[in-house]
Amino acid sequence: MKVLVVEDEKGLAESITDYMNKEGYLCETAGTFREADERIYLYQYDCVIVDLTLPDGDGFQLIQTLKKLLATTGVIIISARNALEDKIRGLEIGSDDYLTKPFHLSELNARVKSLIRRRNFGGHTEIRFREIRVNPSSRKVYVNGQLAVLSRKEYDLLLYFLSNIDVVLTKVSIAEHLWGDNIDSADSLDMVYSHIKNLRRKLLEKGGSDYVSSVYGIGYKFGEP
Amino acid sequence: MKLLAKTNRIYLAFSLAIYLFAGLAFYQVVRILIYNEVETRLKVEKRDFEAYLKQHKAWSDTTYFVENKIDVVPVGRQTRLSETFIDTLIQNRYDQELMPFRQLTFYVPIKGVMHRVSIRKSLIQSYQLIEVITVTMAACLGLLLLGTFWFQGKLSGRLWLPFYESLSRIKRFNLASSTPLQLDKPEINEFRELNEVLRKMGDKMQQDYRSLKEFTENASHEIQTPLALINAKVEQLIQSEKLTETQTRWIEEIYQASRRMARLNQGLLLLAKIDNQQFTDNQAVDLAALLAEKLSAMDEVLLHKRIAVEIRNLVPFTVQLPPALADSLVTNLVNNAIKHNQTEGRVELRSDGNILSLGNTGNALVSNPERLFERFKKEGSSPDSVGLGLAIIKEICDTYGLGVQYAESNGWHRFGISRKVNEA
Repeated sequence: MKVLVVEDEKGLAESITDYMNKEGYLCETAGTFREADERIYLYQYDCVIVDLTLPDGDGFQLIQTLKKLLATTGVIIISARNALEDKIRGLEIGSDDYLTKPFHLSELNARVKSLIRRRNFGGHTEIRFREIRVNPSSRKVYVNGQLAVLSRKEYDLLLYFLSNIDVVLTKVSIAEHLWGDNIDSADSLDMVYSHIKNLRRKLLEKGGSDYVSSVYGIGYKFGEP
Repeated sequence: MKLLAKTNRIYLAFSLAIYLFAGLAFYQVVRILIYNEVETRLKVEKRDFEAYLKQHKAWSDTTYFVENKIDVVPVGRQTRLSETFIDTLIQNRYDQELMPFRQLTFYVPIKGVMHRVSIRKSLIQSYQLIEVITVTMAACLGLLLLGTFWFQGKLSGRLWLPFYESLSRIKRFNLASSTPLQLDKPEINEFRELNEVLRKMGDKMQQDYRSLKEFTENASHEIQTPLALINAKVEQLIQSEKLTETQTRWIEEIYQASRRMARLNQGLLLLAKIDNQQFTDNQAVDLAALLAEKLSAMDEVLLHKRIAVEIRNLVPFTVQLPPALADSLVTNLVNNAIKHNQTEGRVELRSDGNILSLGNTGNALVSNPERLFERFKKEGSSPDSVGLGLAIIKEICDTYGLGVQYAESNGWHRFGISRKVNEA
């Protein structure tokens, strides 16, 4: 899987690349419009993460070029502008997702994964992690072959965990993933706790192992115990 | 006072003073001239009189038959008095009219007896002359005065025309619009320079206004990227397994501070955008339905805090708002109602079509209710709150012709939204 990160802020590009590389993607960066333009002509990418405001050009233009060259490439816009018009315009010219800065790397990762899943297999692929099996098209979860009945939020939570295995997810990033930006944090953190508690319980009930661990009170990690 | 009225007034006062002064001076000069003339002739007559006396050694009135011409009266005392000129009025012999005369009085001894001799000359013609000359002069000067006054008014009206033209254009000039200040190039140097300077100033002002408007927005945008960087680095940092608990707590604090700053920044950016009227796609929005929808979307939080929601008489409350702002408005209202609620509290939504009210139970307000809508006014010191929610509500309402009021009664805090009278 090849991912191109088009971002002029070096540190941010580096963080995204590190994160993506850890997830097993082959990740490249382009700091300028010209560099990015060159790369999309030369190579093929599965997913391109584009910052809209580049020092020497407009991200939208890059997306248009990209879509002309290879329409199957997934595009995720990362922008400091939280404007509805930008989001709509992005979708119109063929981008798949829009993330407003500052975002969580884990959120970006989850979106990239979901995008690649949709693109490559039309969503008809199962996500497996040990005894847990998730069918994204029917939104059903099986543990040891047994159906575990999860609420909508619990399902979203599990999928978020499965997209970020062995990664510490902050409570805030989980809350924002589940409820969006507008939630009041103090309440949502409590709610995150109760959802995680329920999810753990439901997975354990079906004979699964406990993969969720709390990390110093800052967040949670899903992975090998 | 208008400039032309002011100059006219000054001009009028000044020329009237000059006019009066000139008139008086003229009258005096003419009068002095006439008196000089009369007095010279009287002195000549005195010499004639003395010559006659020397020749005849006596005086006879018969030589003078013109009335009131001369008066020779013997005076007893031997005093020698100097000769004097005086004005006098003497009755006309025929019609008893008093006539002005100039009289020269001198003393002369006739046959050893001192006599007082008074020679007179009528001033009636001279007075008439003065009158005629004065009236003519007054008329001429008056006409001149009126003429120049009229001319001056016309002239300055025309001269100042470019100025008034520029003034009216400056009045119509709108700083926020994109059209620059357009002024003529009059042929008068001073006005041309003035227009030139004004045009430059106008351009500079527009440019400054634009950059100021853009500044807040750009600043907010620029802040988002470093914040994204902080967030990303913190997220990477917490993946490290060698962290101690204290270090993690620090990181957590850095993380929360950066999240808070991001929220603050987003709030300020939204306020700046509303201020700059960047939302223009007004649509009819039913705020009552939107609020009810928002409340049901927040059911999880409501359930979590065990807050009961009551919806009463939900008459549609339709207003013209950009959808993004309508959403922001209801989100902030609902968040506020939840945030300042107590456990097992209540939220009440009502709409009668004229006033839409969202109430919540909660502790009594600590801060001044009048300052509630100000930016960064926080109730309590909750670290999650950035204190912009109510400011955003107020800004949206103010910009789109809505009114928002806050009222507290019996432990209920109610925010009422109404249409402004001129909008209804």
